[in-house]
Amino acid sequence: MSSLPPFWLLVEQHGDELMRYARRLSGDDAEDVLQEALLKALRSYPKLGNGDHLRAWLYRVTTTAAWDLSARRRRRPEVLIDSLPVTVSGSQEQDGDDFGSLIEQLPQGARAALTLRYVEDLSYESMGTRLGCSPEAARQRVSTAVRSLRKRLT
Amino acid sequence: MKLEPRFLEKIANSAIQEGIADIVYSEFDTPLGRLLVARSDKGVCLIAYPGQSQRALLGRLSTSLSPRIVLSQQALAKTQATIVSYLEGRTSSLDIPVDLSLVTSGFGRRVLENVSLVARGRVTSYGRLAQECGNPGAARAAGTALGRNPVPIVVPCHRVLPSTGIVGGYGGGSWRKQYLLELEGALPKS
Repeated sequence: MSSLPPFWLLVEQHGDELMRYARRLSGDDAEDVLQEALLKALRSYPKLGNGDHLRAWLYRVTTTAAWDLSARRRRRPEVLIDSLPVTVSGSQEQDGDDFGSLIEQLPQGARAALTLRYVEDLSYESMGTRLGCSPEAARQRVSTAVRSLRKRLT
Repeated sequence: MKLEPRFLEKIANSAIQEGIADIVYSEFDTPLGRLLVARSDKGVCLIAYPGQSQRALLGRLSTSLSPRIVLSQQALAKTQATIVSYLEGRTSSLDIPVDLSLVTSGFGRRVLENVSLVARGRVTSYGRLAQECGNPGAARAAGTALGRNPVPIVVPCHRVLPSTGIVGGYGGGSWRKQYLLELEGALPKS
């Protein structure tokens, strides 16, 4: 007996945002990446213990698929360094939970940089003011934090 | 950006070919309304009439059979053509394999297997059906089992009538039962 929701309902619920995310990671290869990610997710779906954090799980699988495709093609994915490997727009409560669980293992400085930039949606200028550093230093902190998060997700 | 049906169908077909889609479903219009039809690798395991929540129906399949459920119009095209053709009166046979995995009670399964032996154009009664299932006093239980038939139309629970001779109740509504019985020649056209 499974407590997981029907897989296709997940696809219908999150497919659009996953495609946007795949496009940010892999540009024109987004369809290939998302197809591979969804098939990979479907293969392992029954092995998931429960239906918690399925959205975050799908993001992780999509990230891995993007890196796998990139590795196969012997080039790095075309990503912006401050492009966050998760989406935090939508339900603030749900995003807060998902995003919080994703970054909780990162160092305090990295967590603060990501939260200010992607949850509070501050500009680098405002972040600099809040953190007592230059906008360029704020940008650098976000970039480092994004790198750390990407590493954790792959 | 909305995912295109073409892209979704491509994913579903890849999953089916790889054998990782345990249940495939589709929805299509028929003279009896829009049906949701699902099949496993053994056969059709669910046919649902309109008015039931799609989420609840798929949830039942996920809980009872497998959560690896995908939507594919293409994979069910042949089943769709067979059902629509039958309901439009263009063909007289419904040659579709059935999977009764959703039926967990042994008696319920016997009832549905026995009612499948009632030929097109013929009818039986709840009491007679119970008797044929080895439990002559269980007419009411037979009715309950028929009411829970997950594969109506193909497993012809509509061919069971009360001994009073009226059409009687039907999960999809009495008018659908009447339609099916008239289509099959068991009742005169009204």
